[in-house]
Amino acid sequence: MTIQTDTFQPVAKEDLAFVGTEPVPALPYYDPHYFDLEVEAIFRKSWLQVAHVCELPEAGSFIVRELEFAHVSILITRNRNGDLRAFHNVCTHRGTQLVQERAGKRALFSCPYHKWTFSGDGELMSAPDFERFYIDKSDCNLVELPVDTCAGMIFVHLDPEPQMGLAEFIGPLAERLNTLTVARATSFSEYTYEVAANWKLTYDNFQENYHLRFIHPRSGEAAGGESNPFGYPSHYGFHGPHRTQTIWSNPDPAVKPFQLFAFAEGVKVSIKDGLDMSNRDYFGIFPNLFLLGNAVTPFSQCIYPISVDRTRSVIRLYWVGDDDKASRRFAQEYAMATALDIHSEDRAVIEAGHRGLRSGALRHIQFQSQEVLCRHLFNEVDARVQRYRAAQREGKQHEC
Amino acid sequence: MSVESQLPAGFESLERFVPQWCIGRSCDRLQARLNSTARERADFFAAAKDIAPAALEMLDRKPSSDYTVQETRLMNLCLALAHIALAVEIQGPDEDHHAASAKYIAITRSAADR
Repeated sequence: MTIQTDTFQPVAKEDLAFVGTEPVPALPYYDPHYFDLEVEAIFRKSWLQVAHVCELPEAGSFIVRELEFAHVSILITRNRNGDLRAFHNVCTHRGTQLVQERAGKRALFSCPYHKWTFSGDGELMSAPDFERFYIDKSDCNLVELPVDTCAGMIFVHLDPEPQMGLAEFIGPLAERLNTLTVARATSFSEYTYEVAANWKLTYDNFQENYHLRFIHPRSGEAAGGESNPFGYPSHYGFHGPHRTQTIWSNPDPAVKPFQLFAFAEGVKVSIKDGLDMSNRDYFGIFPNLFLLGNAVTPFSQCIYPISVDRTRSVIRLYWVGDDDKASRRFAQEYAMATALDIHSEDRAVIEAGHRGLRSGALRHIQFQSQEVLCRHLFNEVDARVQRYRAAQREGKQHEC
Repeated sequence: MSVESQLPAGFESLERFVPQWCIGRSCDRLQARLNSTARERADFFAAAKDIAPAALEMLDRKPSSDYTVQETRLMNLCLALAHIALAVEIQGPDEDHHAASAKYIAITRSAADR
């Protein structure tokens, strides 16, 4: 729903109180032990978006992704039948990392150490002097991981037997995600940066608008207006562990002349590509993915924890349309540079937040009603961590 | 002896910006922005902002694979302008403050790079 009015009223705090009103404990935002629990209870137990299908355009295509928080390297291939497969990027002989390149195309993967060679389906095809081993080749295939796609995005799961499939995990939101640019993207632009801060602090920065007018007084000027100076969303949605907001449609945005020209170039390209120009939805897919439905700046942001106090953001702007006309390239460059400006402005304040919390000065932090998505994330995270803790205490197998 | 134009006819006024702002990759365009002076950015933006629509319209008539060397230079100037416009028109006096954080960001892939 998009509200176009100059008498904007933010979602009432009474309507959001069901998510909680109490202060939130500060320790989980910097405690190394809590982070270790998050890795086990959340990141090893959730579907994680790591790539897009356009990165594996044909049979033999492969990519490698590193998930530092779990010390895991993942090899994703597209096999002869066009199916995606995901494996631990580890030779089954003595554990050597199999593929060093980040992406490419090949039918076989040979370990540099002793030349054990695997197919794109993970099957051990050959191994020198194999007769001297005490095993069968069929027991030496690469260790497979669950992989699936939603809206063109590739998700993997570090648990070989996930409790639920990706479709069930995403739920009804999948239908909305499938309407976005990302679902039919053929290319993307990408930039990355690391922040000396906990992943939740990093993530939270991008799910509240309370800070926009202070941290983005220039780049975010068009986001707020007289009737909505903070640029609060017009709607919040809660979908199991996931959440959405609908970005307020400013009826009279403060736009500079060249900015308007560049935006208009993007609009022309988007209309030509048949994109939904009305979409203003912003998706927070648990645990660490954002997607903006905006057609001109259709970005995703994946926030990967590296350690308790270090996080990597990977931002992508997904594109459709296969011509390479000048106006398209210009619009793509301007859109990327615009998003990059905003992300760069957030970096310092996220780090300052982590330093402040890490000092131990605060036992709790406060969320106002328009920071409800931050509170929702914490609730979802902490529920999983507490369940995992309880299961550990009881010596049971964790069932998240 | 005549000196060959670096840019297509009609865009000669941008010739003096070619050495600094004709840059082939997005990651390098960002770095050029971050390493430039306010004066350099303002000069380029003032000279290019009103010419860019005509440049894109002219370049749109053919795919980039058919560009002449001069047209490729003009395209790269337009792409650099995308960065510099944000620095001058949006960030203005805050650009140096902004650049202090932007230097930590790495463009790793760009659809505009051909």
